[in-house]
Amino acid sequence: MPISAYYCGVARSSTTSDVFNAIAEAHRREILDALIPGEKAVGAIVKDLSMSQPQVSKHLRVLSEVGLVSCRPDGRRRLYRLEPARLRPMREWLGKYEQELNERLDRMDDYLKDLQEQGERQ
Amino acid sequence: MTPNRHGSAVIEFPNELEIVTTREFDAPIALVFDVLTKPEHVSNWFAPFACELTECSIDLRVGGSYHMVFVTEDGTECSFRGTYLEIEPPTRIVQTWLFEGWPDAHAVESVDLHETDGVTTLTVTLAFRDRAGRDHMTRSDGQEDSFNKLEDYVASLLEQRAAASG
Repeated sequence: MPISAYYCGVARSSTTSDVFNAIAEAHRREILDALIPGEKAVGAIVKDLSMSQPQVSKHLRVLSEVGLVSCRPDGRRRLYRLEPARLRPMREWLGKYEQELNERLDRMDDYLKDLQEQGERQ
Repeated sequence: MTPNRHGSAVIEFPNELEIVTTREFDAPIALVFDVLTKPEHVSNWFAPFACELTECSIDLRVGGSYHMVFVTEDGTECSFRGTYLEIEPPTRIVQTWLFEGWPDAHAVESVDLHETDGVTTLTVTLAFRDRAGRDHMTRSDGQEDSFNKLEDYVASLLEQRAAASG
């Protein structure tokens, strides 16, 4: 019997999965890292990372769409900032994923204990 | 008194195609093997309390197949099929793994058991055949390079952010 059957039984929201997809890309994770110290303009991110401006802008657009970064105008520039609260549902989801497998194996553990106790009594 | 092992499963993502789970049980290897392979046992622990196991057939021989269906709380039916490739009681079972919702995601699940001093270690390796199969996991489960890396990354971001704001 496949132990791994649980992988497909976990319900998840499409929003969470969008966040997953957004940070599955290594360059986008680098951009999020670059924003940890505080908000930055596109030019500053380009300078921090070895990426072209169009590349950074493209990734920032994806990150903005899922709400992982927000931006505000500052004169002629736009400043981008990290919105870490958007990562929280994902961490909760990861926890649930591990929890589901743990619970299945815990039920198996309890059942094995019951069987052995029954065996000792007989 | 044996230790309480609840919540002790170790889940690892050694490469982009495999997921490896390890868990110890205070039971002899032969009993663990039976509990994993006999329908009358499987029905007692497999599905969460909120789910119903509606089909559980096991033809435990090389070339034989299994079929399992469980229905989740919200009525979603999850159907799994596979064929046994290797059976070596009580130490090893290798079976193909197919979730009917993802017909092109072929995987092989290997189950290895090992007993030391009355403690049986279960190791389950789910290996996807190719990236196409694994991409289902990407879309459904958010796995890309490594789930662990992702989790560490998220945790570190949240911690750094908390430290910065606190």
